[in-house]
Amino acid sequence: MEKITNFFKTFLLLELVKGMALTGRHFFARKITVQFPEEKTPQGFRFRGLHALRRYANDEERCIGCKLCEAVCPAMAIHIETEERADGTRRTTRYDIDLVKCIFCGLCEEACPVDAIVETRILEYHGEKRGDLYYTKPMLLAVGEKYEEQIAKDRASDAKYR
Amino acid sequence: MKKAPKPLPACATPVAEGMKIFTASEQAVKAQKGVMEFLLINHPLDCPICDQGGECELQDLAVGYGGSASRYHEEKRVVLHKDIGPLVAAEEMSRCINCTRCVRFGIEIGGAMELGQAFRGEHAEIMAFVSDTVDSELSGNMIDLCPVGALTSKPFRYSARTWELSRRKSISPHDSLGSNLAVQVKNNRVMRVLPIENEDVNECWLSDKDRFSYEGLNSAERLTKPMIKQGGKWLEVEWQVALEYVSNGLRQIAHEAGAEYIGALATPHSTLEELYLLQKLVRGLGSHNVDFRLRQSDFSADSKQTGAPWLGMAVADVNLVDRFLLVGSFLRKDHPLLASRVRQATKKGAQVNLIHATDDDLLMPIANKEIVPPTEMATVLAQVLKALSTIKQATLDTSVQQIVQPVTPTASAQAMADSLASGERVAVLLGNFAQQHPQASQLQLLAQHIATLCGAKFGFFGEAANSVGGYLAQAVPFAGAEHGMNASAMLAAQRKAYILLNTEVELDMQNPQQALAAMGAADMVVALSAYKHHAMEYADVLLPIAPFTETSGTFVSSEGRAQSFKGTVQPLGDARPAWKVLRVLGNMLNIPGFDYNNSEAVRDEVLGGGTDVSAKLGNVLHSVSAQTATWNVTGLQRVSDVPIYATDAIVRRAASLQKTRDATTPCALIHSIELEKLNLQSGEMVKLTQGQGSVRLSIIADDSLPRGVVRVAAGHTITAELGAMFGTIRVERA
Repeated sequence: MEKITNFFKTFLLLELVKGMALTGRHFFARKITVQFPEEKTPQGFRFRGLHALRRYANDEERCIGCKLCEAVCPAMAIHIETEERADGTRRTTRYDIDLVKCIFCGLCEEACPVDAIVETRILEYHGEKRGDLYYTKPMLLAVGEKYEEQIAKDRASDAKYR
Repeated sequence: MKKAPKPLPACATPVAEGMKIFTASEQAVKAQKGVMEFLLINHPLDCPICDQGGECELQDLAVGYGGSASRYHEEKRVVLHKDIGPLVAAEEMSRCINCTRCVRFGIEIGGAMELGQAFRGEHAEIMAFVSDTVDSELSGNMIDLCPVGALTSKPFRYSARTWELSRRKSISPHDSLGSNLAVQVKNNRVMRVLPIENEDVNECWLSDKDRFSYEGLNSAERLTKPMIKQGGKWLEVEWQVALEYVSNGLRQIAHEAGAEYIGALATPHSTLEELYLLQKLVRGLGSHNVDFRLRQSDFSADSKQTGAPWLGMAVADVNLVDRFLLVGSFLRKDHPLLASRVRQATKKGAQVNLIHATDDDLLMPIANKEIVPPTEMATVLAQVLKALSTIKQATLDTSVQQIVQPVTPTASAQAMADSLASGERVAVLLGNFAQQHPQASQLQLLAQHIATLCGAKFGFFGEAANSVGGYLAQAVPFAGAEHGMNASAMLAAQRKAYILLNTEVELDMQNPQQALAAMGAADMVVALSAYKHHAMEYADVLLPIAPFTETSGTFVSSEGRAQSFKGTVQPLGDARPAWKVLRVLGNMLNIPGFDYNNSEAVRDEVLGGGTDVSAKLGNVLHSVSAQTATWNVTGLQRVSDVPIYATDAIVRRAASLQKTRDATTPCALIHSIELEKLNLQSGEMVKLTQGQGSVRLSIIADDSLPRGVVRVAAGHTITAELGAMFGTIRVERA
């Protein structure tokens, strides 16, 4: 029986037709390739790109130097140094992320009790020299300041799932 | 529990025959969750900013037994923060769960209830009671005891998170107990020090001195490069240059003036290896002038003792003693944890008899005490000995008869003798003050006979971490076949060259005045030191050596426990372990036997392999006889203590310890009647004179002192101008 089925399949070029049908379907389907950088693919609000350090509305930095992100980071990409500020709170004197080491897993974001370290939607950044991708505290704060609006919106959309 | 109507608390239910216990039943788990919920009602959720985070008992319990989310939405209780001193931070008292462990610690271990719980119910809060601060010399233990982050370490505050620290074992370099330390290190820097539990030594406690002295390790005064003084200016040089300078200088002085013109002074806070190599170096040069007993003034017992003076018993046995005779000891300040053991013994009914020159509060019941001027201490001991010999109907040894015969026991000496005679496990212990006393060997001999009469353990508390080790390392002038000069003689008869190991002569010596004069007159002073200190003025070479955290070594505690430790961090800058420096110096001077590969090799050479040193210990004096007091002081006499945070180079530079009440600027204390005689007011500035030196201090009336004495602290830069720790002192209006 099988032999007969195979004979007809071969004779009628059934497999070929099937293959051509698939090709044809994709030929006429909507293309997903985009012309980057002019065109961009849509991003989810949980997109994990470049890191940022956030501030509160009153300009106070959120980070309290608890070092949970440093502890949780699987790639050991975060380096923090803290000291007691004049007002008696613990603040970071250094907050460095080595983006070359970073694997963008998002665990730092998840560990942060005050939503200070976040991963933004930004993926277009580069470094020209070695060390350019070693982000220090002022650089991270600058990213945060620049994109605060977007970051806040993304956090808000994520809030109900947390 | 089966058949019990309600769940029972494990900590408060005695075990009984046939009990069936279920710890994971539905009822138990529910109860545990309930308890956790109650505990967390008023506890802030600030673990991320809390220094206790990561080592918090409440955190662990919440993770283990608590619910995953809080159902409590009402307002939480707020307790105001308090400032209770420079060591313990009580900045977030809202975190307190009112377990009152800190209060219990004060009552049961510390000896004074410095913290207490005030108010009731939701308003209950822990606060400092008697004074505004916690001044106990054991206060740091409250930080360890506190299960939450209510009491935290002030010096450590916010400097690191607990999980970042690596934990390394070490041994305390301060008092003679040899506490076991866990030195916690981050980025090659000591961040804090915690106790390691050792029931035989420090139990689970640590004195504040051991706990907070680490701040001195990274002091700005650390010496990090070898330095040579040329034309009155200090130059930083390479090790090679400095060591060649030292070896050439020593060789020249040994050649021209004679090796006996070289003297070496080391502190008993140096390790066994350092002390051994130092004496080997000095003896290799042909001199025998080496000593580590810097604050001792009576050396007549040298080589007349059966071994190295030690505690005479195991530290753990101190708790079992039922009668103490303490002679000349600032017990609480000199030996905080041993004092706590004596305190535990008194709780079980032990009687403490005290013979001393000051009446500081020991925070324990004292059965009998005789507070007398230093000149009278031998007489009081003789009285006790006489009374005791009458009770025991024993004939006295000829060596003490001369001093005992003429005395008549006073009522309190009689009471002491009665107390000692009635005990089963008696201990006669001599403190630092008795060891530094100008009649130390007489006191020792009398105490020894008292101990023999009542079958007591007899020993010395020991001044520093390696007071026993110094003898074992032969860093004493009488260790060899030929005898050299002791610490005091070396300064009296000025030498041409001095080698100082860890020594700050103006603070560490019995007579700073004499010491500074000798240093000034010397041709060459080599200071091996971890710090840039006053030696900058008189030394010619400074060699940076590593403190205990940066070197390996061994301390032999007062009970004869040899404890070795390894370095916990890399030496700072160009500093090197002192045993290596001495080894290289030995090689450069072509002294044989300086080829050690590691400090363990040195230790094995000293101790002959193992760590059992019991055969080398012995407190018994032989062929010494007590004379009737030949020591007379005209006018007022000085009584000195070495304040708890002035004992050695590291604590002197520990910033937070120096802010405590125990480290306040010294003042002169005197009995109010003497003050009246001098026509002075309490609080007035006076000029104190000893020999050529004088200092200005404020004078305070203190009626607990005996008449005829002025109490002035030693070991302090302010009092360094004065002379010996004992003897005549003149007081005038400034």
